[in-house]
Amino acid sequence: MIVKQIMNKNNKHPFKTPESYFDSFQDKMMEKLFEDQCVIPKDNAFKVPANYFETFNARLTGRLNKETKVVHLYPVKKIIAIAASIAAVMLIYLGLNWNKAANEINFSDLANTDIEAYFENNELDLTPYEIAEVIPVTNTELSDILNSPIENENILDYLNENINDFEDLNLQDDE
Amino acid sequence: MSYKETTQYQLIVEETLVQELKSKSTQAQAFEVLVSTYKERLYWQIRGIVLNHADADDVLQNTFIKIYKNIDGFKGESQLFSWMYRIATNEALSFIKQKAKMKGITNVEYQEKLVSNLQADVYFEGDEIQLQLQKAIATLPEKQKLVFNMKYFQELKYEEISKILDTSVGGLKASYHLAIKKLEQYLKKD
Repeated sequence: MIVKQIMNKNNKHPFKTPESYFDSFQDKMMEKLFEDQCVIPKDNAFKVPANYFETFNARLTGRLNKETKVVHLYPVKKIIAIAASIAAVMLIYLGLNWNKAANEINFSDLANTDIEAYFENNELDLTPYEIAEVIPVTNTELSDILNSPIENENILDYLNENINDFEDLNLQDDE
Repeated sequence: MSYKETTQYQLIVEETLVQELKSKSTQAQAFEVLVSTYKERLYWQIRGIVLNHADADDVLQNTFIKIYKNIDGFKGESQLFSWMYRIATNEALSFIKQKAKMKGITNVEYQEKLVSNLQADVYFEGDEIQLQLQKAIATLPEKQKLVFNMKYFQELKYEEISKILDTSVGGLKASYHLAIKKLEQYLKKD
């Protein structure tokens, strides 16, 4: 009777597998197979000094405390600094007005090398999409960006040095 | 617990931690928890890039200081875990770039120099094959190097690496297998 009830209720077996077990099975099996045959050592041999991680929190807190110094409510030094800077601003203002025409600074006064150095040394954090929004690709010629044309020889050198990236691209395109 | 359930659980824990980090009264304690939870994992991510311990320690401290100062800007669009990993990775890569620039050499040349210094490093206890492996890793393109370290040594899941590096799982698998192939070729050659 019980057997009949069970049979009627469900003709499948009662076993279950963890969620997405079969989805990840192949990857796991391939990894295991690869590890068995692999010549690459699993340990990278990097070590840390004794108690490094145990003492890390304390050292970090020490450095954070140093960086975020206590600020007094009425700091005398700060008031003096503000007074001095107001005086300095007044002096500069008077000085500039004295000889105004000679001291005006324009964008054209910036040397190209300074602008290049700024872009070189500052992370602008722009994604290719953000750059694409600013620069109109259709109307841009290489000569707008470069003062001298690129020699074929330089292009070949670049391709030779960066050939790995191109292998990457090909492989991802094939997917 | 399945991967999906673990991720769900992690999200809840992280959400609470982020709230505590943003509130002045609970900030100090929450930051202590954050550092204790992630210091080792972030350390190994950084060490895999900068190679020597002193630099890894420096970058790890800078990473946590950056996290501490920018936690208000964390919008919760990504997981806290992947956000911190991304900061650590960027810090380590910028560190390498700055050092190379200071010495007036290319990134690749600087990394080759780092590997050649490993032999004298007291915190590298590798045999000949492990040293060769580091030399081989130094020849990989940046992306393959990162993926290999994260998958092979840190044993992160492709889904996790995908969130950190903002790359598709398919692309990561391709990079990983290509890296393995190149490393094996390099090691067999020697």
